[in-house]
Amino acid sequence: MTYFKELRLNRRAFMGGVMGASILGITPALGAATPAGAHAVAFTGSGAVAVGDVFLISEDGGASWRQGTRPDRKPVALTTHPERPNRLIVALEGGGVAVSYNQGEPLVPGGRGLPATEIAALATAARLPDTLYAAIPGDGLWRSEDAGENWEFVMDRPFIAGEERDVLSLASVDLASGMGGIWLYGGSTAGLQRVPDCFCRWQDVQPEHALDALLEGAKAPDMVPLPAGEPVWALVSSPAAPNRLWAALPSGIWASIDAGLIWSKANSLGAAALASDPTNPDTLVAAAEGRLLHSRDAGLSWTASTIL
Amino acid sequence: MSKTHPAKGSEERKAACLLAAATLAVASASGAAAGSPAEVTFLGAPSSAETIAAGEVLYAEHCAACHGENREGQPDWRRRLDTGRMPAPPQDGSGHSFTHSDAHLFAMTKSGIEAVVPGYESDMPAFGDILEDGEIIAILSFVKANWPEAKRIFQAGLPGMDTGMSGQ
Repeated sequence: MTYFKELRLNRRAFMGGVMGASILGITPALGAATPAGAHAVAFTGSGAVAVGDVFLISEDGGASWRQGTRPDRKPVALTTHPERPNRLIVALEGGGVAVSYNQGEPLVPGGRGLPATEIAALATAARLPDTLYAAIPGDGLWRSEDAGENWEFVMDRPFIAGEERDVLSLASVDLASGMGGIWLYGGSTAGLQRVPDCFCRWQDVQPEHALDALLEGAKAPDMVPLPAGEPVWALVSSPAAPNRLWAALPSGIWASIDAGLIWSKANSLGAAALASDPTNPDTLVAAAEGRLLHSRDAGLSWTASTIL
Repeated sequence: MSKTHPAKGSEERKAACLLAAATLAVASASGAAAGSPAEVTFLGAPSSAETIAAGEVLYAEHCAACHGENREGQPDWRRRLDTGRMPAPPQDGSGHSFTHSDAHLFAMTKSGIEAVVPGYESDMPAFGDILEDGEIIAILSFVKANWPEAKRIFQAGLPGMDTGMSGQ
C-alpha cells in the first residue's frame, strides 16, 4: 500500500513529522524507543505488521509491537487482504515480490513476468484477494491474478500536468466504477488519480454520475482536491468503509469521507506509510520517520507506539 | 456521410442532447429489426443486420486507420505515446470498450472522450461533426457484433445498460 522514501530525500517530511509529533504531544521517550526503518505497514487478520529494516508484529492494533524475523532481502512495500488473514505479499529491495502464508515466514519468491526493477507500491484488489497490483517507477502498472506468481503489464503511468508520473502508493477502493469493476487509486509524485480496474484510463477523481447529473441539469457536487503537485507517499481506503480514504503527503495526513472528492487535512504528521484496520475505520497505524504511531480517531491524533 | 453542424453550444448542452439524440437515432437505425442478430443491441434496441453491415463500411472509412482494420488497436496500446496520450485501443473485445455502456460509447464517439471523462486528452476526435447519430450507432453496433459473446454479456450487465443511461 505504501512506499517509503529515504530520509535524505524527505527532509520536509521528517520536519513535518517532528512538528506533527510536537503538535500532537507524542511522548519523546516512546518515540525514541521506536526503531527506524519501517518502510510499509499493513493490517493482517490477527493484527498488523511493519516491514523494512525491521520486521515488527502487533496484535493490539498497532499500540505495541514485537520483533519478528526479517527476511534476508529487505521488503520495501507490502500488501495484505482481510480474506487471506496470515498472508503477506512483499515487494523486495532491488526488485521482485515474495509471498508468505504465515505472517512472513517463510517468504516464497514470485513475480514471474515482472521487470527486474524495484516496485514502489503494492495493493490487493478489494474484491479479489488473489489479484494484486504493483506500480513500478519509470514503467507502469502490473497485475497478478494468482497471488503474485505471474504478472502482466496493464497500464502506463498517470499523466499529470504534462508529464508521466511515477505511482508511489496504491489503494484498491471497493466502489463501483460503473464499468463492471471497482477503482484503483494511485498516489503519484504529483498528486492523486484513479483508474477503473478495466484499465482504460487514469483520470482525476470526479463525482459519480457526473454525466447523469449533466443530463438532468443537476449541480455537480463540490470538490476539494488534495494540494496540487504534492507527492502522495501513502494511500489507504478502509475496507469497512471504502468511501473513507487517507493520504500521506509532505504537508500532512489528509482524509476524505467521499472517495476523494473532498479532502481535509487531518494533521501535519509526515507519514511515509499508512494502514487502516479492516474492521474499524477509525484505527490507523503509520510509520513516520523513525516512529511507529497509531490513531484511534481516524487520523486526527496519533500516539507513538511501544516496541516490546 | 458528412454533415454540417450549427455552431457548437456549451459542453453541457451538448452532453444533455446526446442521450435524446441517440435514442431517436437508434430507433431509426433498428427499424428493420426483422431477421437481425437478436443478440446485438444498442441502447436497448436490436441492431439490424443492415445496420451492422453499414457499420462495417463506416468503421473501415472512419475508424480503421487508428483502431486497426481488424479492430486490433495500435501496437503496444497500453503504453503512452511520446505525446503523453494513449494509443487507440482494440475494438475486438481484447481492449476495454466492452466495459463501457452504450451511452458512454456513443457519447465518446460523438463528442470525444472528454464527454465522459472531463479534462481527459485523447487523440480520438469527436465525430459529431462528421457522422450522423445513426452512423455512429451503426459503427458501434458493428463493433459490438464482433465482440466475443462473453464480452457482450459482460457489457449488457453494466449499470445503465437497461435504461440507456451512462451508469458511471
